[in-house]
Amino acid sequence: MVLHTVSAGPGLADCLALAAPDDALLLLGDGVYSAMSGSDTAAALEASGLPLYALGQDVLAAGVSAYLLASVTVVDFDAFVALTEAFSRQLNWP
Amino acid sequence: MKYALVVLDSPSSGTASATAARFAEALISRGHELSQVFFFDAGADTGLSSRVAMQGELDTVGLWRSVAATHGVELVVCVASALRRGVIDVTEAQRHEKPGSTLDEAFSIGGLGRLVEASAEADRLVTFGGRSS
Amino acid sequence: MSRSTLLVFRHSPYGSSLARAGLDLALAAGAFEQPVSVLFTGAGVLQLLQEQDTGSLGDRNYGKNLSSLPLYGLESLYVDEVALSRHGLSKTALPDAYSPVDLQFMQHLLATHDHLVGF
Repeated sequence: MVLHTVSAGPGLADCLALAAPDDALLLLGDGVYSAMSGSDTAAALEASGLPLYALGQDVLAAGVSAYLLASVTVVDFDAFVALTEAFSRQLNWP
Repeated sequence: MKYALVVLDSPSSGTASATAARFAEALISRGHELSQVFFFDAGADTGLSSRVAMQGELDTVGLWRSVAATHGVELVVCVASALRRGVIDVTEAQRHEKPGSTLDEAFSIGGLGRLVEASAEADRLVTFGGRSS
Repeated sequence: MSRSTLLVFRHSPYGSSLARAGLDLALAAGAFEQPVSVLFTGAGVLQLLQEQDTGSLGDRNYGKNLSSLPLYGLESLYVDEVALSRHGLSKTALPDAYSPVDLQFMQHLLATHDHLVGF
């Protein structure tokens, strides 16, 4: 059970190619743009079937709150830590 | 649980480092222990003492200084990464005949062994950044 | 106390400092006798090109450093076989100690190491 943290577009494809069904994805920084509804990356995210999260600080900064896929859960830092408690491993995708 | 963090990005390149500092605060608030933060590769820039934070802009290094001061967390800058980026303490400055130390006092310099040791003992190792810049 | 670490290398060798940083960490873990494995995926497979020649660039030859990893006790070296072919490389051109692996094996690597770090 791995929590994949994706902070940029290029890392997303490699991440999705490797992620397992019981993993989850947290979008950080520029990664939040990947979950904009109707985008190519959003289609890939939905097709993955993985639980999707996005960091609130970055969602707000980017101004994408209203654009995100409905399936994305926006989380604060406390919830981010909670995710790392639940998922024994984290992998950063630069 | 015991956490150790790795920061790979410079505070000048995006938000990964600031996010890591806020994550550090949050994990401590949730009752976990933060044994060490290791600043590696471009992350070594974080320890540069001559940075000037601009009014109204994200002060990432300020966030880290606060983590260290409030919670006593050790902020270790990787020596090899630091040298390459001009982040040098007094000893290295003398050794390499550089004008002076550029290491911010909230940080210490250490080898990769520090990271290896911290990971060996950590329940959770969380890495931030790694953009190629 | 000991925990196993999997390093995931995703970048080509000279365009950024990440590849070198990851390699240095692999070597340090080996030197401290901590269990470490390395997985090359995405553009990271380009680190394995055998014909690297840094004479003109004036930098250390990353490819040569990689070939010597086994000498430092690092034997768990894996290469994403799909990434190899997507980057126009062949499995047969890999240095001896490097094993091409499939998705199932890679997911097993992620699931069985205590810590994962991406470079």
